[in-house]
Amino acid sequence: MTASIGRRWVFGVVALATAISAAIAQESSIRMQCPSATGTDIHPGANNPGIKCGHLVAGDGMVTMANDYTDGELGGKPLYVFGFALTDNFPPGGPAVNDPGYPGWIMTEGTLAANAPAPTIVVDEDDEVFLSLTNVGMAMRPDLFDPHSIHWHGFPHAASIFDGVPDSSISINMGASLSYYYYAKDAGTYMYHCHVEAAEHMQMGMVGNLYVRPRQNNLPNGPPLGATTHVTGNKYAFNDGDGTTRYDAEYPIQMGSFDPTFHDASFNVQPLPFAGMRDRYFLLNGRGYPDTVNPAVLTTTDPLGKVQPSQRVSSLIEAAPNKRILLRISNLNVTTFNTLGTNGIPMEVIGLDARLLRDGDGNNMYYKTNSLTLGGGQSADVILDTTGLTPGSIYFLYTTNLDRLANDAENFGGMMTEIRITN
Amino acid sequence: MRRFQPGQRKAGPVRLMAIVVTAVTLLLAASTARAAIISVQAQSFNLTASPGYVSVPDGGSIYAWGYTAGSTMQLPGPTLDVVVGQEVTVTLTNALPAAAGNVSAVFSGQQVAATGGVAGLLTQEAAPGGSVTYTFTPSEPGTYLYHSGTRPDLQVEMGLYGALIVRPSAPAAGCTASAYAHAATCYDREDLFLLSEIDIDVHRAAEQQASGPGPMYVVTEPYHSEYWLINGRAAPDTMAAAGTGLLPTQPYNSLPRMHPGERLLLRVVGANREMHPFHHHGNHTRVLARDGHLLLSASDPSKLAGPSLFTILSVPGETVDAIFEWTGKDLGWDMYGSDPNTQQHSCNGNPIPPGGGVAASPGYDAVTKEWCPDHGRAIPVTLPDLSVLTFGGFYSGSPYLGALGSLPPGEGGLNPSAGYTYMWHSHTERELVNNDVFPGGMMTMLIIEAPWVPID
Repeated sequence: MTASIGRRWVFGVVALATAISAAIAQESSIRMQCPSATGTDIHPGANNPGIKCGHLVAGDGMVTMANDYTDGELGGKPLYVFGFALTDNFPPGGPAVNDPGYPGWIMTEGTLAANAPAPTIVVDEDDEVFLSLTNVGMAMRPDLFDPHSIHWHGFPHAASIFDGVPDSSISINMGASLSYYYYAKDAGTYMYHCHVEAAEHMQMGMVGNLYVRPRQNNLPNGPPLGATTHVTGNKYAFNDGDGTTRYDAEYPIQMGSFDPTFHDASFNVQPLPFAGMRDRYFLLNGRGYPDTVNPAVLTTTDPLGKVQPSQRVSSLIEAAPNKRILLRISNLNVTTFNTLGTNGIPMEVIGLDARLLRDGDGNNMYYKTNSLTLGGGQSADVILDTTGLTPGSIYFLYTTNLDRLANDAENFGGMMTEIRITN
Repeated sequence: MRRFQPGQRKAGPVRLMAIVVTAVTLLLAASTARAAIISVQAQSFNLTASPGYVSVPDGGSIYAWGYTAGSTMQLPGPTLDVVVGQEVTVTLTNALPAAAGNVSAVFSGQQVAATGGVAGLLTQEAAPGGSVTYTFTPSEPGTYLYHSGTRPDLQVEMGLYGALIVRPSAPAAGCTASAYAHAATCYDREDLFLLSEIDIDVHRAAEQQASGPGPMYVVTEPYHSEYWLINGRAAPDTMAAAGTGLLPTQPYNSLPRMHPGERLLLRVVGANREMHPFHHHGNHTRVLARDGHLLLSASDPSKLAGPSLFTILSVPGETVDAIFEWTGKDLGWDMYGSDPNTQQHSCNGNPIPPGGGVAASPGYDAVTKEWCPDHGRAIPVTLPDLSVLTFGGFYSGSPYLGALGSLPPGEGGLNPSAGYTYMWHSHTERELVNNDVFPGGMMTMLIIEAPWVPID
């Protein structure tokens, strides 16, 4: 294994150096577009919170699974992934976006920096979102020249050019950048992923949380909302008009799963099993239990020896009694349906697929359940009410597909996290 | 600023529109709402269950059984297209190999009287060479499934299934076509999405025993599907022409096309044994009904109650009717372009100002369906140089609707009228393969055609 990494390391460095020199030769190929830096406002208006910009890189990296993987040393099983990273998370002190050194910095910091899941993207309704994507290439797979894309899954009224489907439009090659534009007009829980060779790139980890907060959050203090009154600082899942989707704390929970045979085959440049894909790591936000309740960022040493933040999103849910917890649940695994259950705290489903559950005559169609089944590409907004619960008590959010409470062959892991009632 | 190459377009929208606006109106008016679903419209059907071979896009040929209203076995069976309240008669003849045993048909949601044939567990069955007759009078419009009620673990997997569409006796008030006798179910176009899958091991075992004395011994568990189908075809065959001679036993395609502002009715049928999250890019759909039961508000039945979804859950045996709409609303920029020199066009009568800039007005343009608050707004980003991009076959070379742009030689070409294309597919992405070959499987494209592009 060491020998094979060493050989690939050489290829990787050569590929990287080539890409960087190419980037320097054509400075404009790697860039971030953000009109707010130039004062351009496309849709000015009092109701427009503004322009939000982000710069994602797409490439490869390593993550750590939760089982006690022993191959001569202690530690979790490392798994090769494709994924995204956000430049905001790169070490501070990098060059400005218009600095000639910016493309090289992007390539250097972006190489092997993939996160699982992809960085969470949160915007406000009416925002104009400029999301730039740079393909830094897959350093461990110098034989590949895959483009990448961003698909904002569920985004209504996207033009094909910004929908991220490679067949329908364009996708970006290695060493270059493509900027996407979205006018976020509908609040809700969405998700995003790379749509290039989707069965492969999504199995490999190019999936993440994305949600839009409603404009109702920005109401002035005092107006009545149904039987309640809006108070500055109150947060809602939707523009409900009646305050019924108010929450005190929100958590994105993305179900996913990995087939280590597929990932290892990819790492070792072997044919990929598609029809034979069988996931064995079942995850919430890219981690299996008990890593799901670790509030810290998980790190993994990449094959070049650098310690990289690999899994940033904890799934630990905490709230005091008498609070309302909003879970923004989505499923982006590529092989199966999953059921999430709670013990002791019923889930009130208030939204599906980024839309408030309400009939055409204005009646709320919310329902309470102890289990929620979602296939890939479905989302649900769920409220947990901690009224009357005892501080210090722990509840579980876990898959009731009980065979998936495992990290590969290791029991008491997998798709599970804790809901801790605090003081 | 190289986001657009003047002079490399075939025609600017204004010129095209000037030529075609009159014709477009006529074409739109002349199009029939039923055109996109190929069906047999009758009240009496003679079906035959027979063997044949279906093609999968990786080059394979798979032994299958199917119903046909003619002489060639087909997968899925013919879409039976009937009217509510009128008696339907289906006579089924068994032309399967004798080893396959009896065959039958059950019709979900219907009160069926069966005559003739031999007794079976679920219904009367047709013995090899024999026939049986089913009679029912559908009481509710909607989309339904019919399939074999004989040894269904094997016979349904082999392909003995199809869709039953029950239409209201008259369209709802105010429209020319509706899924139900309810104004909220009016539609301009409709498409069938009958979802199924194939485990080739089952088909191989049946093929090997087809010439034997029977009964067949075929293991149907564990089940590991390798091919995933829409209307009997796996991508890219889903997008080939309906009725093509290249796929004689798979006559139905799946290539929805519509204009901005139209209402597209989806009839989604889970025909075999797996659940599929059917994700439709472009916009949400509003669920009208499940299993032919309209979902209406309890407090005002003139309004719908079904959820608005971006992924329709399709489960075995269930049907979902949903309405999809697409407009350019809230795109944030002008979908016909903003350059007054090459992309001049009007929205509610307002041209783009001579020097460029925004000419916003409320609402839509009645002909182009442009969302006028965005009229004249430039696409907000600079697109990369062509040399750093990978191009999709459906990319027209331009981000604008109905516009062609420059592409390197050999690129594009699948979308000559430059519509906006959206992938509609199973979001169990593993099912976007044909066995181990990506891409393929349960996938097709919706094409939003520019208003001046005629759709059959």
